Amino acid sequence: MEKKEQKRHQHKHSGPKAQKKNRKKEQGTEQGQDERKRNPRAFSVQSAVRMARTFHRAQDIKTKKHHIPLVDRTPLEPPPVVVVVMGPPKVGKSTLIRCLIKNYTRQKLSDICGPVTIVSGKKRRLTLIECNNDINSMIDLAKVADLVLMLIDASFGFEMETFEFLNICQVHGFPRVMGVLTHLDTFKNNKTLSKTKKRLKHRFWTEVYQGAKLFYLSGMVYGEYQTQEVKNLGRFISVMKFRPLVWRTSHPYVVADRMEDLTDPETIRLDPKCDRTVSLYGYLRGTFLKNKCQVHIPGVGDFSVADVSFLPDPCPLPEVIKKRALNVKERLLYAPLAGVGGLVYDKDAVYIDMPSGHASQQQEEVRPTTELVQSLIGTQATLDAKMAASKVSLFTGTAALTPEENPMESREWDEKAQRERRRAVFADEDEEDDDEEEEESDEEEEEEEEEEEDEDEEGLITLKKEDEKAVETAAPPVKKQKIEEPMEMPAFADSDDELEKSEGEESEEEEEGDEENEEMEEGEPAKRSSGPDSGLCSEEDDEDEEEDSDMDEDADGIVKFKHPEEEKIDTEDAEMAYETTGTLSMIYPSDYIKYVFFLVCFFWDVFVEGALRWKEDLSKKASEAYLRHQLAAPNLRKLVYGTVAEEEEEDSNDEEELGGLFKVSRPERSKKVRADAMDCSRFHPDSSHDWDQEEVRSSIRDCFVTGKWEEDKDAATLLKEDDELYGDFEDLETGEVHKAKTGNKDKEEEEEAPQVKLDDDEVQKNKRLEKKRRLKERFDAQYDDGDATYFDDLKEEMQKQAELNRQEFEDVDDEVRVQYEGFRPGMYVRVEIPALPCEFVTNFDPHYPIVLGGLGPSEGNVGYLQMRLKKHRWHSRILKTRDPLILSLGWRRFQTMPLYYIEDHNGRHRLLKYTPEHMHCGATIWGPITPQGTGFLAVQTVGGFKANFRIAATGVVLDLDKSVTIVKKLKLIGYPYKIFKNTCFIQGMFNTVLEVAKFEGASVRTVSGIKGQIKKALRTPPGAFRATFEDRLLMSDIVFLRSWYPVSVPQLYNPVTSLLMPVGQKDTWAGMRTLGQLKHDLGIRNKPNQDSLYKPVVRQVRHFNTLHIPKELQKALPFKNKPKQMQAKGKTPRDLQRPAVIREPHEKKVAALLDALSSVYAYKNKKAKAEQHAKHKEFLKQKEKQDAERQKRLKEERKKTYRAMGQKEKKKLKSSLKGASKDN
Amino acid sequence: MEFEGCNCFRQRLVLSTLSGKRVKIRNIRSKDDNPGLRDFEASFIRLLDKVTNGTRIEINQTGTVLFYQPGLLYGGSVEHECNVQRSIGYYLEALLMLAPFMKTPLRAVLKGVTNDPTDPSVSVLKRGMAPAGGGEVLFTCPVRRSMKPVHLTEPGKIKRIRGTAFSVRVSPQMANRIVDSARSILNKFIPDIYIYTDHMKGASSGKSPGFGLTLVAETVNGTFLGAEVVSTPQGQGDPVLPEDLGRNCAKLLLEEVYRGGCVDSTNQSLSLLYMTLGQQDVSKTLLGPLSPYTVEFLRHIRDFFQIMFKIEQQKPGEDEQKGGEKVLMTCVGAGYSNINKTIK
Repeated sequence: MEKKEQKRHQHKHSGPKAQKKNRKKEQGTEQGQDERKRNPRAFSVQSAVRMARTFHRAQDIKTKKHHIPLVDRTPLEPPPVVVVVMGPPKVGKSTLIRCLIKNYTRQKLSDICGPVTIVSGKKRRLTLIECNNDINSMIDLAKVADLVLMLIDASFGFEMETFEFLNICQVHGFPRVMGVLTHLDTFKNNKTLSKTKKRLKHRFWTEVYQGAKLFYLSGMVYGEYQTQEVKNLGRFISVMKFRPLVWRTSHPYVVADRMEDLTDPETIRLDPKCDRTVSLYGYLRGTFLKNKCQVHIPGVGDFSVADVSFLPDPCPLPEVIKKRALNVKERLLYAPLAGVGGLVYDKDAVYIDMPSGHASQQQEEVRPTTELVQSLIGTQATLDAKMAASKVSLFTGTAALTPEENPMESREWDEKAQRERRRAVFADEDEEDDDEEEEESDEEEEEEEEEEEDEDEEGLITLKKEDEKAVETAAPPVKKQKIEEPMEMPAFADSDDELEKSEGEESEEEEEGDEENEEMEEGEPAKRSSGPDSGLCSEEDDEDEEEDSDMDEDADGIVKFKHPEEEKIDTEDAEMAYETTGTLSMIYPSDYIKYVFFLVCFFWDVFVEGALRWKEDLSKKASEAYLRHQLAAPNLRKLVYGTVAEEEEEDSNDEEELGGLFKVSRPERSKKVRADAMDCSRFHPDSSHDWDQEEVRSSIRDCFVTGKWEEDKDAATLLKEDDELYGDFEDLETGEVHKAKTGNKDKEEEEEAPQVKLDDDEVQKNKRLEKKRRLKERFDAQYDDGDATYFDDLKEEMQKQAELNRQEFEDVDDEVRVQYEGFRPGMYVRVEIPALPCEFVTNFDPHYPIVLGGLGPSEGNVGYLQMRLKKHRWHSRILKTRDPLILSLGWRRFQTMPLYYIEDHNGRHRLLKYTPEHMHCGATIWGPITPQGTGFLAVQTVGGFKANFRIAATGVVLDLDKSVTIVKKLKLIGYPYKIFKNTCFIQGMFNTVLEVAKFEGASVRTVSGIKGQIKKALRTPPGAFRATFEDRLLMSDIVFLRSWYPVSVPQLYNPVTSLLMPVGQKDTWAGMRTLGQLKHDLGIRNKPNQDSLYKPVVRQVRHFNTLHIPKELQKALPFKNKPKQMQAKGKTPRDLQRPAVIREPHEKKVAALLDALSSVYAYKNKKAKAEQHAKHKEFLKQKEKQDAERQKRLKEERKKTYRAMGQKEKKKLKSSLKGASKDN
Repeated sequence: MEFEGCNCFRQRLVLSTLSGKRVKIRNIRSKDDNPGLRDFEASFIRLLDKVTNGTRIEINQTGTVLFYQPGLLYGGSVEHECNVQRSIGYYLEALLMLAPFMKTPLRAVLKGVTNDPTDPSVSVLKRGMAPAGGGEVLFTCPVRRSMKPVHLTEPGKIKRIRGTAFSVRVSPQMANRIVDSARSILNKFIPDIYIYTDHMKGASSGKSPGFGLTLVAETVNGTFLGAEVVSTPQGQGDPVLPEDLGRNCAKLLLEEVYRGGCVDSTNQSLSLLYMTLGQQDVSKTLLGPLSPYTVEFLRHIRDFFQIMFKIEQQKPGEDEQKGGEKVLMTCVGAGYSNINKTIK
């Protein structure tokens, strides 16, 4: 059925038509130019109102485009972009990730579990995460995703998960969403394909926004998507821009890509269910993370962070920005959970893989990859199951080691890594020390304890073989072991532990081990033990630290203590040490060097000899150090905060007069003295100046406007500048010409500053530059900012602030910087969390995302939250008050019992039993304090697919409080038992006098609408009261008291602990069941209230009393209305009763005849009457007719007569007029 | 968080309330003859209870241990009878820190001692001197959602000095004598001085006699430095001559000027708190030498908010005659937002 080709229209090229068209065309161009001239009316103002409206609208549209300017807080090196690949099962998520990874890094990843971080471009890194089909994961990932790749099976169409995820995204701030259609090769027909595409696209647009990007992946080639298409997708991802989301810019978060259990294996052995200490690794995102802050791990719960430290970036961006694309070495891939990036993750060991070809290269030059591996090795030690090795890094003399002998170890013992490591790890040593002391009673366990202590000892491991016997004998039973091995060499780091102390100091140490307070009391001069506090430095120094400081003098701030005997340690020794303890085994496969680090047992040692040697002239050195520090500026920071992370030492003896100005003694020292001091903000200086003296007075002379001003602000200078600006002018009136006095100025300057002559040129130059700048500023202010709006000003202010933020700490060392700012986003951090439930570790599944969401101040508390809530329109059922609901709010997912309410016009919060169908309502829950304005969503269950659309409600937090304001209606019912005029006594409403007393003055109402008021309680019966009404009540009336009763919100806050569920059952978390579910599960049927059942209505007949009219009234009534005095007749007595008549037959006949006759007569009468009636009717009709005629006639006659009269009158009038005119 | 002793009692409770962290203070005057909390501290706790909702306070029998679990700041109209052991300034300093972060704007009427030698004074409805008090202060403050970063690095030059010399239940001439003596010193620096005399009578003069002087120096950049001296309470210590008092106060102001900075030593902690509670931006303030109270406050800020200040010292130039060393305090705000305020 081919259609016939239609003949196309042919344009004329010549002839009159064509000419006409040409003319029009030519004119058209002219018309455009002078249309305004030709038709000015069309462009004139027709209506001022209309014009105002147009203008208004234009302005509205313009202003609508504005966003509130925010300070740009994006870090210079941003963290990787989180790309979440989401979609229902079997839609091709893993394939897509694999293809993307291959596209970016040319590597193939077989099993993708956990986040995969890759370098995608010169300035961008990506973290790819696959979202499994579990609402928990979907919620968690929607909160951290920057970009969502939403996979849609085109052959099937949209699935509910897609929409659910979009809704989740909407609530938690919308990240970028890009749809990807897959399975497009299943369409055989091209037309259906394009139709489906279009249909899906438009549906997608309505959900996201008009014009949202939808990507098509057409088909698979050898189980992978087509390279070109993946490349295109990759390009789209690379150029994508992201907007800041409120929640994320105000909360730090980490998507953990590595997890390690640091718990002591011995405690695990003793109690496999003990709480675990776990360190989590990942890029910090969002905002600054403070040390020791609270975090929430969705699916686990709230925890306070024990320690945060930053590590070298395992997946850094290329250092040098080149013009062209990345080279292969810069295309890094980091996915420890997936076992890539140099690490294979095992339960209690970590395998470091690297191609053998690279190994030698890496020794020679430190490239990012090497750094990566090294950092991982360094940090890897943490994992060990036998020891919390995270705090340990192996330390040997770096110089001694020859890389050729043992290349791996040389890398491990890298000086730099070692140092960074040590610095990064902080811990509260005091606590641990205490623990140790408790444990140490057992001699048998001592060896293990040594290891523990070693772990505690940060950043330092002394590797050597140890004579265990010597250990045992030498060790004092209660204290830590001190081994005397003079021949061995010490290996020190600057960690300040008792372990390093000499035996000679042991007695002191024992005291030191105790609380510092005690120490104070004992008056020991400055022997305090403390480790550098993590992040926030500890407040004390240590004697050891002093010693270290001496080292510092040599090593210029960096502790690089190298003992001469250290060189003895070579790698073989170390290896032997490992092997003897059986903790390390090495395997050398052909291709790889696979090091399997099992928990390495580290030995610690105390080297009395060495320690003594370098402690010899301690006091002298200390005093020298002190002098040196005195020369430098007094470090106020240290005064305020105690020790700083920089290895700056301070002698404890000389705290008294630091800086001369600041008389602040250290907190611990004088704590006892000052603990109970007066709490007063006034500052009375100890050494006040004598203000009567002239020189003292002159020291503040310049603080007043009368004093000397700075050169640039001096009035004279300013005037001069003004002169230069506006100097040359001619006074028109006088004709006088004023010239800028340039010569004078120079002279003045010379006079002012003769001593500055030395570098006069420079000064002059600076001055000139400064002047130029100021002139330009003034010019700008005059001409540019003329039309600067408030918005522009605000924007500029924000920009300035952003610049300041960026510059303020730019040149500060990272170690110090994190103390001021906190850890900034983009850093790779290690977060140590103690007391995690053991299920977190035992049931760890890398497929489920672990998010560490930082909490703001007081967000860890619980309280009542008022929120605005709306049932989702796609959720099939309305929600019931007090039914448990799972909320996703902030970082958290938790079950709670909301109470729904609606706000009445007077601001009252009235309880609702169910949520309204299509309306917002209020909800109050007992839950975690979350800032107002935070969105949330609710689901009824997180396990299973019972509902067809799982998101039950969405909303926003409005208010936080510690009390609830919801009330429900309460109707109290009472019955009158005694009625006076308008007063009556009512019972049955209350039970006691007290209850009544509370309601005195309350208004009541009857069913019939009579209003009244409660007056006072009656003594008996209890609970009865007197009330007055506006009218008299009846006994049958019922009295209502309408009041409001406050309801309490159930304090249920049950975090969803889905991550703790066993592997494979993580989506089966079931919390508290609803009442309906419980009844269903237990098979309980509802027993209805008998009164609520419908029964046939039985109405009693009502009897009314007779009307009683008072006698007086009766008298006054007219007779008609008077009640008639109808006495009831008594029974007629028998004698008065008339007997019945019995007729004779004859009489009967007569009577019958009479009857018949009378009936005939009556009939005749009736007939005659009817006839008569008809006749009369006829007569009346005729009469009417006649009357009508008569009337007509009469009318006519009357008309005639009136007419005649009228004419006569007229004539009369005319004649009179004529007469009058004649008169005139 | 746990603390020992009653030092910095207000700081701890205020910061606890703002940060939502619970606080336990042990050993409050445990070694003292009269152990436990004093009446004025109890009164302070009661005031905190009045402006908050859901606060839990537990005190042991002797009053040496206090457990404080903060609720949410509520605000509204509050009337409080302050204990006469400390002046209203003691209570007001804490309220100043809390007031911008309430649910509803605060309107507090504090009654008690308005001026005493230890605490900062307040301008008043009714004056009441130590020891008996009887003064009254009205304090109102609007609420804020968040704080803007502060940049106060240039104090500017002092352009004028204002002050109030007050006297209650003594001869009105006292105030004039104070003014004269104070002017005699200050006139050497600047001519623009005006000191008001404020003599209160009758009901507004409180219950005890006394007099004092408050001086405020205002700079061209709009920063203020204050100083004040109040006569010793009747029957306690040596009586003070008004001339001496005036001179002392003037010298105190000069001392304050010598220390310099954009905020005077009494209010350092307040400005630092507002810097801490700002948005996550860099704030800067130039202060004089830190007072011990401020140093304690800095430590507490670190404990409660994990925020450390970058402290830079600015030495005065050689030919500059602008007083002593200054301290430039820099910090990044905590990103604190008022969680109490309702949104509609």
